[in-house]
Amino acid sequence: MSKIFPKSANALPLQIIIFLGILGGVAAAGITYYATPAYLRVGYQPVQPVPFDHSLHAGQLGMDCRYCHASVEKSGTSSVPAAQTCMNCHSIIKTTSPLLEVVRQSYVTGEPVPWVKIHQNPDYVYFNHSVHVNRGVSCVECHGKVNEMQVVQQDQSHSMSWCLDCHRNPAQRIRDPKDVFNLDSQTLAAQGKLADAQKFVHDWKVKPPTSCSGCHR
Amino acid sequence: MKRKFDHSAPAQRELTGPKYWRSLDELADTPGFREHLAREFPEGASSMEGVDRRQFMKLMAASFALGGLGLAGCRRPEAHILPYGKSVEYTVPGLPLYFATAMPLRKSAIPLLAETHQGRPTKLEGNPSYLPHGGASSLLAQASVLDLYDPERATAHTKKGDTLSATQVNDLLANINKAYAGSGEGLAFLADESASPTRARLVAKLKAQFPKAIWAEYEPVSDEPPVAAAQAAFGRNVKPLYRFAKAKRILSLDADFFHAESGSLYYARDFAKGRRVTKPTDPMNRLYVAESGISLTGSMADHRLRLASNHILALTAAIGGKVLETATFESLTKGLDVNSAWVEQCAKDLLEHKGESLVVAGAHQPVAVHVIAYAMNAKLGNIGKTVDFVEVAPSGASTIAALATAIKAGSVKTLLVLNGNPAYNAPADLDFGALLKSVPDVIRFGYYQDETSALAGTHLAATHYLESWGDARTADGTIVPVQPMIMPLFNGLMEVELLARLAGEDKPEAYEQVFATRGGDKKAFEKFLHDGLVEGSAYPAVSVAFDVQRAGAAFAKTPAFTALSKENLEVRFTTDHKMDDGRFANNGWLQECPDPMTKISWDNSILVSPKLAQELGIVPAGSLLQVARKEEAEFTQGKENARVFEVTLNGRTLRGPVHIQPGLSNYTIVLPLGYGRTQSGHIGTGAGFSAYAIRTSDGLGFATGAKLTDTGARMKLANTQEHWSMEGRDIVREANLGGDEGYATKSNFVKEATIDSHSPAVLGKDVDKSPAFIATTTPRGNSLYETPDFTGIHQWGMSIDLNTCIGCNACVVACQAENNIPIVGKEQVMRGREMHWIRLDRYYSDGHADAEAFGAEGNKALPEDPQVSMQPMTCQHCELAPCETVCPVNATVHDDEGINVMAYNRCIGTRYCANNCPYKVRRFNFFDFNKRATDALYMGPLGHQSEMPELVKMVKNPDVTVRMRGVMEKCTYCVQRVQQAKIAQKRKAGASGDVVIPDGTIKTACQQVCPVEAIVFGDITDPASEVSRLKAQDRDYAVLGYLNIRPRTTYLGKLRNPNPHMPDYSALPLSRVEYNQKNHPAHDAGHGAAHEAKQGGHE
Repeated sequence: MSKIFPKSANALPLQIIIFLGILGGVAAAGITYYATPAYLRVGYQPVQPVPFDHSLHAGQLGMDCRYCHASVEKSGTSSVPAAQTCMNCHSIIKTTSPLLEVVRQSYVTGEPVPWVKIHQNPDYVYFNHSVHVNRGVSCVECHGKVNEMQVVQQDQSHSMSWCLDCHRNPAQRIRDPKDVFNLDSQTLAAQGKLADAQKFVHDWKVKPPTSCSGCHR
Repeated sequence: MKRKFDHSAPAQRELTGPKYWRSLDELADTPGFREHLAREFPEGASSMEGVDRRQFMKLMAASFALGGLGLAGCRRPEAHILPYGKSVEYTVPGLPLYFATAMPLRKSAIPLLAETHQGRPTKLEGNPSYLPHGGASSLLAQASVLDLYDPERATAHTKKGDTLSATQVNDLLANINKAYAGSGEGLAFLADESASPTRARLVAKLKAQFPKAIWAEYEPVSDEPPVAAAQAAFGRNVKPLYRFAKAKRILSLDADFFHAESGSLYYARDFAKGRRVTKPTDPMNRLYVAESGISLTGSMADHRLRLASNHILALTAAIGGKVLETATFESLTKGLDVNSAWVEQCAKDLLEHKGESLVVAGAHQPVAVHVIAYAMNAKLGNIGKTVDFVEVAPSGASTIAALATAIKAGSVKTLLVLNGNPAYNAPADLDFGALLKSVPDVIRFGYYQDETSALAGTHLAATHYLESWGDARTADGTIVPVQPMIMPLFNGLMEVELLARLAGEDKPEAYEQVFATRGGDKKAFEKFLHDGLVEGSAYPAVSVAFDVQRAGAAFAKTPAFTALSKENLEVRFTTDHKMDDGRFANNGWLQECPDPMTKISWDNSILVSPKLAQELGIVPAGSLLQVARKEEAEFTQGKENARVFEVTLNGRTLRGPVHIQPGLSNYTIVLPLGYGRTQSGHIGTGAGFSAYAIRTSDGLGFATGAKLTDTGARMKLANTQEHWSMEGRDIVREANLGGDEGYATKSNFVKEATIDSHSPAVLGKDVDKSPAFIATTTPRGNSLYETPDFTGIHQWGMSIDLNTCIGCNACVVACQAENNIPIVGKEQVMRGREMHWIRLDRYYSDGHADAEAFGAEGNKALPEDPQVSMQPMTCQHCELAPCETVCPVNATVHDDEGINVMAYNRCIGTRYCANNCPYKVRRFNFFDFNKRATDALYMGPLGHQSEMPELVKMVKNPDVTVRMRGVMEKCTYCVQRVQQAKIAQKRKAGASGDVVIPDGTIKTACQQVCPVEAIVFGDITDPASEVSRLKAQDRDYAVLGYLNIRPRTTYLGKLRNPNPHMPDYSALPLSRVEYNQKNHPAHDAGHGAAHEAKQGGHE
């Protein structure tokens, strides 16, 4: 029987295994680094139909988040306001600005302003804003310093493990309830008052769900 | 390995043998050829217009790579947030809004609260302000929301095929008003029945404007006693309203007051109040039922007499003779073949409970039966106590027969058909289809383009009640609003507006008309819409006196007693439990919901008794009927292989599959109405056969003289529960109330007289502790699989009272509506893939099952006269769930509050959990049921992709995930409601730390809809909660508890209250008799005598 394979082929199986191992490792590392929410979502900064500037409205003018995102304290969604809310001021201020044309049209015709959604969770995840903002979790914890953003971008990964990081250790991210909508405030832990935070968690019976039923219905 | 391109000159020795060459050039061995070989790609091929091929490939690869790494190719699709232009009042995005409305059905209505999300109704609940229903609603009400989003509803007004605009329709109606002004000669209306005050007002106006017009009303099924009976008995226009809660002894004469009679929701609830027992000393009511079919009321009966509907008059006369102590009815009892002791003892029992007894006669029974029943109630002193007679306005409407005569005489030029479907369900002797064709101008106002629309020239698309303005009255007369949740989706016409335009009203809009009926007071109207009812508007109860003289007239025309046999069968036409009279034929939820008794979905069947089946020779051979063995029972691979028979009645025939139904009167065949639609939409068309084809005016409820002939054909039926026997197991645990073995004496029967006495759950010394203690403290055995510690603030549990459950199946459809459960179609149901998260198991026991399962005599016959037990079965949320330990990906886990949770996104579809579940309550999405139409399920990715129409998607509840193919699902204890309640509580709690949800805040969908409050859900750690109190009762047990899996859902054992003096008395319920025979054969001592069941009166 003639020799089909050269002797060097003896090392081939080991080479293949090592190669596949390295390939797998590189693939896993690549996916972990490049294809997980922390990479894919953070920094997402789409162009919006209206160049709404949070740093001007929420930062400079000091408008409270809840003026526009009115349902955040009552419902699961923190709603994007109807054009009527914008027109509350913009019927008097910058009434002819071309940048606001979309808003004015929306108010008149009822056609919605097609805002691009930045923070998205899959359909099988049910997140509720009201239970967070009423229990000491500020907008800043999840959305970053929106009052300093000219164009809103996604600040955190909003992945399940990121949510669980806080759910498993809420005291680290809690702040005084009256500071929740003050985006320049700090968490109790950051102020060195971790003991107060833990007391808060205890007194208010803050028990964030860590089992599946908490968010998956 | 290197690519060998050096094709050197052939070796010397090759020159001597045959020479092979690939080209002439090689043969010639020219220098150009050698150079040609040396290059990998011949000249010219590797450079393209100045771009080197290799360079090009490198560039392309690089840009592909760049594109692939999260830039243009992998950009996620843009999603949008679309807010309103102008804010909508009361709307908080993300929160549902509830509005009060009502679902009208014939002359009654069910008050509802509609839950609307973003302006569209997704779920209907009962209106808790209406106390007789207490927040419950019915099966039909739950399913009616799907009808609103039926893509096959009429979406345009048409006239002879052309579409009409709204203005054209208004003109059409105005023209009719002008054309017939003053006389109305030649104008006729055929409408459905309604108790709407606005409609009554407008009809009165129409009658005033068109005095010669015919206003006829027709309903194919009657759910109220005939008016003639009250006229004859009391001389007044009254109808009875029964107060079952106050009745201790109830006799039902072919009356299915749990479902078919008007006010059934109220009656079921009230009856349950008299049935519910919390401790051994509590009293229970006693129900005697005489019926020909087997209904839900019959299955609740303590004594059930199988008697042909035709013979009910004789029975009524017999019992009436005893109760009234008169011989006037002797002649009517001729031919009655009933154990006289049954009649005597029943009458005696009624007489011993004067003022707390009740005699109810079925609406379809002849006038004479009602008159005798009224006489009995009067004699027993029940009037004003257990039955109130309320005055109702006389309808003043003509009948369909009179209209038919007028049409035949040619005096009708314009006929308006309002709702109903007379071409489909009018009595066959009228041949209404042909009559419709003979009328010059037929205008049909209806929700679907149906059989009647096909024969009408003009079709006006009606609105659904959820998008209409109107009003209605409940069975007891309370006025309730019908208000729209959404603008008419297809610009339909509201019934009130149609009538108003016909009457030439100035403000014909339905809102204005309803407003005017209420008196035009804005504040009062707003209160009316807010409350959902008008306080104190019920029909007033009046005192009535039975007038013997006048009553005698009712007996002038009594239907003759007919002896029945195989050649002379009685046909009983029943209102189908789900299709009603056929109006819900295109409702997928109702078609798929199995019939509570036959457990057949998507079809109706000719029901025959086991005795008749024997005589016809169609009883399955071998008769291992308790276990549906393929080769012997008539099931092949789970599909009921029914024989197709022909029913001939008075010269008319129909064909349908035959189903052998235990419990029927021997020679009565039951034909459920409402199927066999020919123009209904792809769900309704072709489902079942139409029993209307042989139904004539003189036998609307039942008729005699039918024959059955075998056609030899077979048909498959989708039967969801072939296995009707408990086989001597204690799945439903029952006892009598009284007697030596009764609950009153042996209150611990549920544990002592069952398998729990031999093999209880392993609880060690904690066996008597509360469920809360066991859940949180008792160790759960040495399982390798670690379940989470139950440290949650609440621990959820459920208790289902089998004593009050009537088996109406409302919970099945309520769950389907709340949890986005898809329908799968008949094909898939035949494969056992129906998706209902809660099912009603229905068991028959006749006391004959015995130990030797397969060869024994006792197991060889289908029960002719069984006792029926109902049991709702959902995921039991076992603390030691067998499903959790076998999931390879941990998709089903337990949360810390005791709910067995399903994470759909993690499930990979192994189905091991469903395999391991002892209760078989897990459901797998074999196909994309939520995306595909039921006839397009097998389309692979290469086939035509059919999407669920946008309209149907609107019914989905946004708070619950819509599951995809390949994912397991099951009851979640309505985890979305639990979570929302927890969130609401935490939001309100603030610094108080009061995060415990008060009892009663959370109602699971099944609990909320149940008319008898059989299902109770709550926190078992709270000893004062309703569910804890129920679980503390001594009747509490876990199904299959010996498996030691500690289900959180437990049941309360069923009690029966038979009369020891009755001839069919059995000291133990028949299921217990079977249990004893199976498990303690030959010896009776130690567990109480296993009395042989004596068959009671039968034919």
